[in-house]
Amino acid sequence: MEAHRLTNNDVNMRRPEVVMAPQRLGAMHSNRISFVRTLIRKMAQQKWQVTKDLWQLSAQGFGHVIYKLKTPHHIYHLVVFCNEIEDDERNDRVIAEKWDVTFALVYGEVSEQLLAQLQANVPLQEAGRNPTNVLVLARANKSVRVFEHIVSHLAEGVQPTSDELVDVGYILRTTAVYGNGKFGIADFKILENNPDFKQSFSAQMCAVYLLREFSLDWIDYLAKQKGGEKASPLSNDLKRYLGVGNATGLGMAPYLINHPCIVDQWMSNREAALTLVLDCPADLEKHQALLFLLNKAVCHLQQVNTQNQNQDQLNHCSVNELQHFNGQLKDLISVSNTWRDLLIATEHLSLETQEILISCLMEIYPELVDNFQDQVNTHESLNLAKGKKVNDLLMLLDDKYRWAIETDFSKPENNYWFWYRSQDKEEPRLGIRGEEIGEERELPLDIGRQVYRLYYALLACPAEMTLAEFLLQKPQYRAIARRVWTLGNKVMGDIQINVLHKQSLPMHLLRCKLSFFGATKFDPRSDRWVRVSFFQGAPLLSEIHDGEWLFPVLPQQAVVDKSTDAAVDKSIIALQESSK
Amino acid sequence: MIVTHNELITVTNKAFLGMRRVCGEADLIANMVADLQMVGLHGVKHFNNATQFISLERDEPVAIKVTDGHLIADLHGSSVACHLPVIIDYALEQMIANKHLKLSLKNCHNRWLAYSELLMLAGKGIACKAQWDNGSSPKHTLYILNRGCVLPELFLAETLQREANGLNDMTIELSINDFDIANLSSGYSKHIDAKNLSGIQDTAWNKGVFVEDHEWDLLKNTATAILVENSEQSIRGAGE
Repeated sequence: MEAHRLTNNDVNMRRPEVVMAPQRLGAMHSNRISFVRTLIRKMAQQKWQVTKDLWQLSAQGFGHVIYKLKTPHHIYHLVVFCNEIEDDERNDRVIAEKWDVTFALVYGEVSEQLLAQLQANVPLQEAGRNPTNVLVLARANKSVRVFEHIVSHLAEGVQPTSDELVDVGYILRTTAVYGNGKFGIADFKILENNPDFKQSFSAQMCAVYLLREFSLDWIDYLAKQKGGEKASPLSNDLKRYLGVGNATGLGMAPYLINHPCIVDQWMSNREAALTLVLDCPADLEKHQALLFLLNKAVCHLQQVNTQNQNQDQLNHCSVNELQHFNGQLKDLISVSNTWRDLLIATEHLSLETQEILISCLMEIYPELVDNFQDQVNTHESLNLAKGKKVNDLLMLLDDKYRWAIETDFSKPENNYWFWYRSQDKEEPRLGIRGEEIGEERELPLDIGRQVYRLYYALLACPAEMTLAEFLLQKPQYRAIARRVWTLGNKVMGDIQINVLHKQSLPMHLLRCKLSFFGATKFDPRSDRWVRVSFFQGAPLLSEIHDGEWLFPVLPQQAVVDKSTDAAVDKSIIALQESSK
Repeated sequence: MIVTHNELITVTNKAFLGMRRVCGEADLIANMVADLQMVGLHGVKHFNNATQFISLERDEPVAIKVTDGHLIADLHGSSVACHLPVIIDYALEQMIANKHLKLSLKNCHNRWLAYSELLMLAGKGIACKAQWDNGSSPKHTLYILNRGCVLPELFLAETLQREANGLNDMTIELSINDFDIANLSSGYSKHIDAKNLSGIQDTAWNKGVFVEDHEWDLLKNTATAILVENSEQSIRGAGE
């Protein structure tokens, strides 16, 4: 890494070939400027108020509920519809047509007329049409096992057992959270000047956070309905541990390929924040705080149950590496001039471990890192510059796209997959080239192959030919030429992945985006879809604060049984003790 | 039908990708359609008109010649949407030596779809004037985007102006100086000013974009060409 350092505006960032390598993106963890963390800080700092506006549920928990959100600037409502569905109708795939819960985040007041319109359309999701005062449209399914376990225990006045909770970690699992003009709802442009939600995806994150509050209120309500006077509410420490699940499939991967400027902005922004931290002197006074977080990460990984063998091995490997590393941490800090030296000392460890250290280092420098939280938006236009020659573009490709031009696309393994959209709700899918139908309708996500073809077409032309002349003769290369010129002149640029390669894992792309959102507990169900949690460990609405909640861990059982709100604090104290 | 800007972009993008063309860039063409539709100038209708003929057009580079500040491009009966961006790139190279450039686009269709590219040029500080004759009403269209303008001044007339142009030609003038709108617009029977278009655009952002039902259905239908039918294998391709 040392030898490949990029200098940009006097800031020593890591090189794009390090940062944008798919395996590293596939090892990322959330950090303090992940979108959910930024949202909670903002809600706490600006004292956003949430109240239960309407609660019209049957004794079985079906009906609708409205929460009111008041910020210093505007009023919003989360409108939730709870529907009765059969077990065999519960499906996390995009092709599903019914869900336990559907919901919408609405700008402004909800009139009777609007409520009726939402009632007729929100439960239909993609099949409905919604007005432009809806900012977010989404749905979620119950984790039936956890749901029933919690409600039956609480109805008896007993807290649920933590073993059941640790396996899942949520009550509701979202399967799609739509924003930006989908199915008639508001385009993101409308939020451009809205101080509450002008950051991309912040409205979606807020809707999910409010859904978490609903899920907790819902189980308390149902336990009361079932147990009457005997019932007790879920303890706050367990509530805090429960987040909102999310199932994400291939559909997320094309987003990262089709929005390269946004991905560059997110990655460059994170790198800029990280670079400031890495340039700080390695200070022994930070040892305790860092060790606490690293130990918490160990505990978190030990509590992640995944059936995915590869992820399980990665987690175990990271736990072992971190336990060893943590034991040497004080000595390693002592011999490091800066935190960069400490990070370099982990280069022989797994990418998962390196990424955990990065998230922990960012965590202990809020005064440096939080300044970057509002810099996630960017323009997306892909443009060519005037007056450039074939040679200019060749030089750029030689410098920034070696990963593409050095791939031999005449080899079958480098062209193994093709991406397409299915007639089933236009779901993105992967097919094997030469074996499956649809190759002639392949989606143009093959950036590496397009760059390779552009490169060799350019090589066949005189170096002094203008780029405009080249594209006039070969207009089929203009789209990729615009992309590489734009991204090649950005700090991090394109993700360096050939998505057609036989061994290429879309999971890496999914995890990258989910980490930026702030997901935890990665549980891949195959190499094409993953379950994660959001807001697990996050403060509850009633206690919202901008403190840290990196790497959520289950409160200690002994403490939980006492049902005290201080359980998490005690759990953290226990971890701190073990860090000494 | 009320749709959103994102829906316009997404559906048009898919519709163009489904045509599997060598010439033309789906993201730019989607912007061409959306930018027009957002100001009520029927982008979807123009695109639908284009799609009827696009598969019959020669999908090959345009022929260009430049003499003394005049660029002539023969589009061989193709859509402006598929070729204008490369022509503009080439024209901008010529403007390094010229303060003013005239582009004559010969044998082309869907001339309204040039709007989005010219909007971008105006935003970059190049004044644009576009005009063409048409076989049906309005017989002549002129719009001017002076430097920095985000919306044009639009003028329509019911008489052909000819000016050495055929009914399938278009003239675009680019200049580093603004055009004299008052002088150029005399004799036109209808003026739609930028303020008017701005009002339509604001409504489109805030309340949704109006598209005629049949035009929207036609566009959505075109966009299905890219979809692949279901099979046992394809369901597994989603990862479950």
